[in-house]
Amino acid sequence: MASDVATVFAPTSAGRRRKARLFVILAAAAFILALIPLIAVFGYIFVNGVHSLLSIDFLIQDPPADLSATGGGVRNALIGTLEMTGLATLIAVPIGLAVAVFAIEVGGGLARAARFLIDVLAGLPSIVVGIFVYTSVVVTQGHFSGLAGSLALAIVMLPVVTVSAEEILRLTPRPIAEGARALGLARWRAVLSVFVPIGLSGIVTGILLGVSRAIGETAPLIFTSLGNNFFTLDINQPMQALPLLIYRNALNSGFATARDRAFGAALLLIIIVFGFNLVGRWLTARRRLAGSSR
Amino acid sequence: MTTRSDQPAAAMTLSPAALQDLEAHSAVSDVAATEADEAVLAITIRDLSAWYGARRVVRDVSMDIRANAITAIIGPSGSGKSTLLRCLDRMHEVVPGARSTGNVSYQGVDIYDPQIEPAAVRRTIGMVFQQPNPFPTMSIYDNVAAPARFNGLVKGKSAQDELVERCLRQAALWDEVKDKLSHGGTSLSGGQQQRLCIARTLALRPKVLLMDEPCSALDPIATLQVEELMSTLKSEYTIIIVTHNMQQASRVSDRTAFFNMGEDRAGYLVELGDTGTLFTNPKNQLTEDYVSGRFG
Repeated sequence: MASDVATVFAPTSAGRRRKARLFVILAAAAFILALIPLIAVFGYIFVNGVHSLLSIDFLIQDPPADLSATGGGVRNALIGTLEMTGLATLIAVPIGLAVAVFAIEVGGGLARAARFLIDVLAGLPSIVVGIFVYTSVVVTQGHFSGLAGSLALAIVMLPVVTVSAEEILRLTPRPIAEGARALGLARWRAVLSVFVPIGLSGIVTGILLGVSRAIGETAPLIFTSLGNNFFTLDINQPMQALPLLIYRNALNSGFATARDRAFGAALLLIIIVFGFNLVGRWLTARRRLAGSSR
Repeated sequence: MTTRSDQPAAAMTLSPAALQDLEAHSAVSDVAATEADEAVLAITIRDLSAWYGARRVVRDVSMDIRANAITAIIGPSGSGKSTLLRCLDRMHEVVPGARSTGNVSYQGVDIYDPQIEPAAVRRTIGMVFQQPNPFPTMSIYDNVAAPARFNGLVKGKSAQDELVERCLRQAALWDEVKDKLSHGGTSLSGGQQQRLCIARTLALRPKVLLMDEPCSALDPIATLQVEELMSTLKSEYTIIIVTHNMQQASRVSDRTAFFNMGEDRAGYLVELGDTGTLFTNPKNQLTEDYVSGRFG
């Protein structure tokens, strides 16, 4: 005699099924809710900025002295942003990685103190960083400069790079870490040749997060690189940056040209960050070995 | 009893060449000669205890390990087998809060001598772990060559090629991987990964191989391959294997040590003897109960 299906495999009750469906709907609604501002901001900037970017002049010309004038581009700001963010990355990444490695491999009171200070730094309003670099570098040197701007951006980047690298290195599987130890490898060698490659994609993501954070900063640059209407590559000169240009033009958005320029520069900034992230992902994905499941 | 090295100057230097020098000195010392009645001893353990924090996990173990023989350590879970093994290449102290007391000597040299660098001990006394742990971002080739290169044991492309082939052959893996040396180490099967880890350890030219349940993550065929490999390696290396598998211990080992967990929950050595004797005619009732499957 065959058993009744419902008694062998008791079906989920209607109430539990309803509850499950309710939670799926709630989760989906929250997801959509979170996406709305993202899409709205990006869409708004795209619609308002895309026509500026369609002209190559926008990238290869400097802005007019009079913001209300038509024409011109954002070359000085684009180059300034890339130069200052690049230099900031060169400063912040080695220091950040060193602090992360120190915290994990050496540990102890000094590492905990360093980590605490880094956490404090992460919570510091970026304008405070600007004022710090202003008093310590700009006032001492007697002039605003791209270098001062780079230092300020490096300080902004540092905690992001450090914290993410530390979290990633902490995830090194214990059998792998013990294997390196048991092979008599020096600790720095194990970190550099085994742990960092394992966590590389995460570390690169952390660096890109730091770059993305720094590249959009306006406040730390106001007192440091100041901004510049002219094009310069000289790190000792005041230097323009995209956020500064957006800020100045947005303040004058009563003029249609200034408003368009601000939106164009904002879209350009988004595209740069997006591009960096794509390149970073591509670079780390390429390193996978043949046949590896990772 | 063992003595500390009478060659402190040699013990202070850290290069592999100097360490071999040191081995040469101690091998002819009277300490090693008097202790080896019928066989040459590789490692002597005296009054070894080990702790994790306040908890003692190994209590007062004294035993001798013969050179060029396979010593199996068997015993129930929690009897301190793995911890004891990790004390023999100073891997125990790597765990935060872990410490040990007592004396472990390799060829008459105290491996816990403050003048000896732990990394130098670990190069001479290699370890293979329970879970195969090839470096996931390195190719098969680099898994073998890189640790040796990093330790300054091999230089130049041709010397590395030679080393990789020799070690992979020794580990009975060469024929399976010779056409895909550039593939990732983790692309191999579990058994192949474990033999790769053995090859990687062999590349450091160790004298002793510590194996911590090397087959527990492997299927029976891979297990058999690793066991056969151990038998061939015995002529050149001193091997100590921790295993849960009594059949494995009786298959591969010359000597077997039986550990048990005491009332204080710390592991201790019950009996050490020739494998055949220990399994068929043990001196201790506990050993008999364990090997006949009455507990554990």
